[in-house]
Amino acid sequence: MTLNEARAPFVKSEASVASMMRDVLFALAMLLILPAVHYGPRPLVMAGVTMLACAVCEIAFSLIQTKSISLSDGSSLVTGMMITMLMPLNAPLWLPCAASAFAILVAKMPFGSIGHTPFNPAASGVAFAVLCWPKEMFSYFDPAAAQTIPPYQDFTAVLARSPAAVLKSGLKPGILPLDMLWGVFPGPLGTTGILVICACGLFLFLKRTARWEITVSFLAVAVLIAAFFPRIACDPLTSVKYELMSGSLLFCSVFMVTDPVTAPHRIPGRIFYGAFGGFLVMMFRRFGAFEQGAVFAVIIANAAAPQIDSLLLGALRLGDEPYDE
Amino acid sequence: MILQRGVKLEQQKSASLRHKIKNLPVPEDIEEPNPLPPRKGKLDASGIIAAAEAAGIVDEFDGTALDKKLRRLRRLKPDMLVACCFDEDPCTTSAMATLRENTHAMIAGLVLAARACGAAENKIAVATSREARVIQKINPQADLILAGERYPARVLLKRKLYASGKNAAYVGAQALLALTAAVDENEPQSFTVVTVAGDGVEHWRNLRVRIGTPLKFLLDACEASEKTKVVITGSSVTGKAVTDLSEPVTAATRCVIALRKPLRNKTYPCIGCEKCERACPRGIVPWKVLREIQSASPDPVRMLNVQKCIGCSACAVACPSGIDLRAAISKAAAYKKSGDFD
Repeated sequence: MTLNEARAPFVKSEASVASMMRDVLFALAMLLILPAVHYGPRPLVMAGVTMLACAVCEIAFSLIQTKSISLSDGSSLVTGMMITMLMPLNAPLWLPCAASAFAILVAKMPFGSIGHTPFNPAASGVAFAVLCWPKEMFSYFDPAAAQTIPPYQDFTAVLARSPAAVLKSGLKPGILPLDMLWGVFPGPLGTTGILVICACGLFLFLKRTARWEITVSFLAVAVLIAAFFPRIACDPLTSVKYELMSGSLLFCSVFMVTDPVTAPHRIPGRIFYGAFGGFLVMMFRRFGAFEQGAVFAVIIANAAAPQIDSLLLGALRLGDEPYDE
Repeated sequence: MILQRGVKLEQQKSASLRHKIKNLPVPEDIEEPNPLPPRKGKLDASGIIAAAEAAGIVDEFDGTALDKKLRRLRRLKPDMLVACCFDEDPCTTSAMATLRENTHAMIAGLVLAARACGAAENKIAVATSREARVIQKINPQADLILAGERYPARVLLKRKLYASGKNAAYVGAQALLALTAAVDENEPQSFTVVTVAGDGVEHWRNLRVRIGTPLKFLLDACEASEKTKVVITGSSVTGKAVTDLSEPVTAATRCVIALRKPLRNKTYPCIGCEKCERACPRGIVPWKVLREIQSASPDPVRMLNVQKCIGCSACAVACPSGIDLRAAISKAAAYKKSGDFD
């Protein structure tokens, strides 16, 4: 036998970038199950097309840059999946593709791909789509109306107002809380299955792929603002219930703000970052032009993350006792 | 404690612990060691140290001579002497197997070493409570503490004991056995227990081999496959790869790992997951040091604690991006020590 040289370490822990991305992708795929059961194959087709668009954009940009193509980390697929989740199901298929193209070609690759992105690419892509095509982004079909949904063609759907839009106009959404938990209400594709999102969050936190501190502080601030300054005339708990379950707030709190690349690196920093993000979301909901602005909140919080990191702690390492031989 | 330091690794120890330690025949061209002259004088501290020196005992964990170590410890006066009867790196089980089969001799050696360095307490450190129950069954008098299974267990145990106000010293299992043999039977340290494991060998075994035996004998005894590409000795995490199988076994060879394919070396940029920071037992923040050392003008003030690095590679093991953080830390330590900053 001929032996080769090798360098330490010879053992690796199981977590790798690819495996972390696989976890997120798995969790996102779980979100597709309920829509696929309710509305047929269109959600799956949409996710497939968007992921394909992301992969193609990444390959094209690598070719232009004459860099080697590396899709193995799976980060572009995660971006594509997240964009799908934030689209309405009745959107034409070019809409998520345009958002993906922006996410990959403008928000991700020019900064040097994974690990260097200053803003969450998926959030940037969706924000771009919201700014350019707000009508398509905020028209949701009515799940209660009997209509057939074609797998890939554009179609004119029976529209309904989403709970977020109803809240925005100062009214109380007329949807049963149980229906909201199971995701039978108008809203972006992947953000309506509240129970599934909670389960996915638990999975990611237990696998240590996402950090729970950000989500907890994000939701805590959102809950406090919803309880003390309700937008609609009702008791605080009802306000909290509708604010949390409508729109993409919960989805963003589990999947978007927890992205380790764009979040601060310290626990106090992360808690502050989550709280800042939660505050921004509620402010966008109250004063913003759109019915929901979670992606904008994520982007602004991303921009603040490096400052939070350097302001709060600098190079100190708290909680570490001096220790010597 | 919420923040648990260290890395959890897949242990892969049961295969080699299932069998008893096998005595490997001594190759013909290795000479018998000369027996030591009978010990003169009392068995006090200096007598024990002299016996260790005459037997040429080497501590297998750090590769230092036991007599030098005991002399140093005698000056430092530790409160507690701990026998490291756990193997922190995966696949290796030589210390565990040695303790299981020689519990009484291990306790005798520990008492001798504690007497030599003047430690009031002595304890045997084992990895898990399951292992502790096995040892308690063999010898109910054994005084055990748990080191845990997170890598690097030795430093983490040191941290734990230091936090509870104990100033402890650590001695390897093989060295203590050799000390017992040297004092009781005037034998020099000529045998050591080595674990042979990895996907390149058919049988995972613990072998008792004569020091100086070529590695080839060990691999042949465990039926190494022809497809073996990498052979590692010392430790399955931080050991070194050998390319020449005629290299001899030394007292510090705790394991021989034969692998069919080297570990993947695909690296990604840092994603800021902080796993390295949680893994480090010495309070270094590897990702920050890496960012600093890669910047155009590295600032030595921002490289906190790098001089404390003990080279356990826990950061590099934990890194999901596969970055060689240990190299970055040692580069930073060298830079900080050089004093040549512009």
